Amino acid sequence: MAEEQKQGQAVPSEAPARAEGGAPSHGGGQGGHSGPRREGGREGGPRREGGPGGGPGGPRRGKRQYFRKKKVCKFCVEKMDLIDYKRADILSQFVQERGKILPRRMTGVCARHQRWLGVAIKRARNIALLPFAGSAAGATAPRAVEAHKS
Amino acid sequence: MEERLYDLIFIARPATPEDEIKKVISSIEHACTDKGAKIEKSEHWGTRKLAYRVAKHREGMYYYHQIRTTRGELIVELERRLHVQDAVIKYLTIRLDEDLKRQKKLGDKREKRAARRPRRPAAAPPAPVPATPTAEPQAAAN
Repeated sequence: MAEEQKQGQAVPSEAPARAEGGAPSHGGGQGGHSGPRREGGREGGPRREGGPGGGPGGPRRGKRQYFRKKKVCKFCVEKMDLIDYKRADILSQFVQERGKILPRRMTGVCARHQRWLGVAIKRARNIALLPFAGSAAGATAPRAVEAHKS
Repeated sequence: MEERLYDLIFIARPATPEDEIKKVISSIEHACTDKGAKIEKSEHWGTRKLAYRVAKHREGMYYYHQIRTTRGELIVELERRLHVQDAVIKYLTIRLDEDLKRQKKLGDKREKRAARRPRRPAAAPPAPVPATPTAEPQAAAN
């Protein structure tokens, strides 16, 4: 133990570099863990944000909270007070390819409508109008249900 | 006893013969009339591709009914009947009246708010309404 500490002290220039590199030494074990992971997260940030719009005004690299869609809630604009679970074409705009519900920061929906949207999407999933996440994800775009004259 | 509104959707196997479907629908209708319920809407959405496989089928025939009743136990009876039928692979009942009530309340509130604060039209000159405070700063700006 004492020998390792002496070694750590004898080579102070290498120890931080080693911690940065991520080699789990005893001294830099704790720090080394979060270090590279956070770096990886930061690098992954702008790659995701560069896709939809690039993040207006905020620094490209950096925390995700700078990314903000300036859009308004579509339902508030159209003054929709009831989100119909039968309208799979509307609901599918807020659902990923794999069937997962898109988060609010991607779609710009307000909190209230996001709650109602979640309820409607889950109902639509139960009646096979939308897929459950990861199950036979949509080969065809969902279309609105139309009543047939029978 | 307040009236409740329900949406009933069931999915039948694709290419089910017409008379089997008629049997299912008439069973629903009889159950409704026995318990004093009213079928408001009855639609057939045709054969749709399902979002996932149900009972090894990729397509299904969708039937939709809207039922108005005061007795909730009717739904238990309807679902029991649908469960028994072989042709029906999936069904779902949704209670709608609370949602519609909330929608109506929000719509009324919105209209009341819009009526209380009249928006002046963009083309016409501002009408001199003494009560609204917005007219005065506009006049001052002009």
